[in-house]
Amino acid sequence: MIPDVEREARRRKLVPYMSWIMTVALAAEAVCITFLPKAWQWLPIGVGIIAITVVGAAIDPPGRDELGGRRRGRRSRRGRVAHGADGDAAPAEATAGRPGLMSLAARLMPPAAGRRWLAEADSLLSEIAPARRARAIRSYLWSAPSLAAMLWAREVLRRARAGRRRPE
Amino acid sequence: MALRLTVQVQLVLQALLGDPAAETYGLELCEETGLQPGTAYPILLRLEHEGWVASRWEDIDPRAAKRPARRYYRLTAGGAVQASAALAGARRPAGRALRRLAEGGGAA
Repeated sequence: MIPDVEREARRRKLVPYMSWIMTVALAAEAVCITFLPKAWQWLPIGVGIIAITVVGAAIDPPGRDELGGRRRGRRSRRGRVAHGADGDAAPAEATAGRPGLMSLAARLMPPAAGRRWLAEADSLLSEIAPARRARAIRSYLWSAPSLAAMLWAREVLRRARAGRRRPE
Repeated sequence: MALRLTVQVQLVLQALLGDPAAETYGLELCEETGLQPGTAYPILLRLEHEGWVASRWEDIDPRAAKRPARRYYRLTAGGAVQASAALAGARRPAGRALRRLAEGGGAA
């Protein structure tokens, strides 16, 4: 579980980035509305939202509090119902020092699988020799997209099977 | 879905079959096989999904141990039999090729 103080600190860290991104996006939006055709006018806002998501994930990774601890947001409750009983929930207290890109990669995966992947990566990276660490991180990151595809395919099949089994 | 017995999968199975009753964790397995963790992890997941391997989180207090818990893997009884049979039936890559792969860290 993550302390509220730490959570608040992360939130505070995120606010200036969000403000800057939204300011730039709104300025670009004004330019687009004035000079560009209608089809382009939502582009800056779209890019801004994507940028905020990326920056948010990098600053406030789904790391420690989601590694078996308290989880946030609307999706998390549904996620726990959907995945909670698989025994995969990682123990809390993962290590820091993992690159934010790995948290981002974990978000590509189904929630429970992403948390487990991240927790196992944390566990391994905390024990690996420093000389081999960068290479291990690269290998995790390179394999993440195909792993995410495999895990989502499996998740979709699992949900389809669960749906079929549901009594009418 | 049938498990494809790639060279990397064979390496992992060989390592696990070294002592089928023993538990091993990711880093140990990577050191034994020479595979990178990004390669070994999906293989372990697939093996687990097929029921050949079981896994569990280590039961420790990370603060006291000063490291995160490890995820331990071991072959299931059925998995050990199936893995032995699969390896016996697999086209064996040359030992040199396996060594080269291990030294190179394995492709993802």
